[in-house]
Amino acid sequence: MEQLLNLWHNTGIYQIAPGQAFMIAIGMLLLYLAIKKNFEPLLLVPIGFGAVLANIPGAGLAEPGGILYLFYTVGIESGAFPLIIFMGVGAMTDFGPLLSNPRTLFLGAAAQFGIFATLLGAVLLSTFGIFDFSLADAAAIGIIGGADGPTSIYVASKLAPDLLGAIAVASYSYMALVPLIQPPIMRALTTEAERKIKMVQQRHVSHREKIVFPLLLLLLVAFLLPDAAPLLGMFCFGNLMKECAVVDRLSNTTQNSLINTVTIFLGLAVGSKLRAEEFLDLTTLGILILGMVAFSIGTASGVIMAKIMNKMGKAQINPLIGSAGVSAVPMAARVSNKLGLESDPHNFLLMHAMGPNVAGVIGSAVAAGVLINYVTGG
Amino acid sequence: MESSDLLNEGFTLMLFGVGFVFVFLTLLVIATSLMSWIIIRYEKSVGVLPEEGIPAPTAVLSPHKHAHNTHTQDKSLITVLSAAVHKYRSRNKK
Repeated sequence: MEQLLNLWHNTGIYQIAPGQAFMIAIGMLLLYLAIKKNFEPLLLVPIGFGAVLANIPGAGLAEPGGILYLFYTVGIESGAFPLIIFMGVGAMTDFGPLLSNPRTLFLGAAAQFGIFATLLGAVLLSTFGIFDFSLADAAAIGIIGGADGPTSIYVASKLAPDLLGAIAVASYSYMALVPLIQPPIMRALTTEAERKIKMVQQRHVSHREKIVFPLLLLLLVAFLLPDAAPLLGMFCFGNLMKECAVVDRLSNTTQNSLINTVTIFLGLAVGSKLRAEEFLDLTTLGILILGMVAFSIGTASGVIMAKIMNKMGKAQINPLIGSAGVSAVPMAARVSNKLGLESDPHNFLLMHAMGPNVAGVIGSAVAAGVLINYVTGG
Repeated sequence: MESSDLLNEGFTLMLFGVGFVFVFLTLLVIATSLMSWIIIRYEKSVGVLPEEGIPAPTAVLSPHKHAHNTHTQDKSLITVLSAAVHKYRSRNKK
């Protein structure tokens, strides 16, 4: 009889807390969104499943000694996984469109305004006593506006590890929601005539330029902002492997097997942060809302920057590509292209939008470096 | 008092951050344009790299590397090469 009672006490049904049940439901919802709705399935499947695993009562998968805890400690707490992902992203990035029109870097810079505006918003909320965010927390929340998953996770793991779950979920869900969030903002800020602007054909970029560019970027980072060196260093390394064409084996591994392997563990480890005890909190809601604000401001400031540049320069820029300045490669560029085609079915903006898009990756990594530098050093 | 400090910090960080991102990317624009300008100039005199990239993908260890290890292959390579050079020279003489 005693054994039977003991067995009963060990079942999930006996031990489960309402919060855990709720979080398992959230995990299932993420799986549903990934599988049925195709929202970032590569990430949401591991994250959703990790969330379910982490909330199994009594199993302790996400507690010290559990396997998910191990993944988290090894990969995320150390900052390794986001950096390896960044290397893979670098190996998949083509800087050609950016090199043919370097001015689009400004669009990538402008879109980072969302990060800093949201940071200020988070600080304001703490000043009014609505939430209790420190400056480090606020910085980590703001970076969601960069719409760059690995960067967000990297910054959060450095500055606000206890908010990591919410920040990672927010940044990946907004990346998946790019096609829903951006178009209304872009339409509101541009006129029909502006959306019809045709851009000059891009010039051909030589192979040498593509090889030299990552090295140039690396040197600039090394001289000016060593705090961004982990992110941009790995990024440049991946890109150089692709462009130099003498290490195709390494480049292929980085772009495929390595990034996929790491994504699996990163997803599970992020999912493990969705434990009821840590996630079910009013703060999470605040982070989700602030993240959305950050993202919208970033989109808007990219578009506005493009309009300002049109006032100043001769070569016209279609303001629709400004929104691609938030990273979210390549979804944001596709959105620009789609809206361009809506106004003029012969106006293909995709390649033009890839310029600000990869500039956004660089911009958000630079912003991340500045934040880490200021918060940890200041 | 403490909360207004936080606000101040946040404000400073915002200005500092936005400023720095712009300065950095402006420098990058300048450096990139300069780099492209130099390379385009340079390639006018030297010619561009072949379109299909530089060497072939190294999916298998290239025979060149084996040559270092195995002496026999090294020898046969030299034989082939010298035969080719010989033939080339003799043909060019005529």
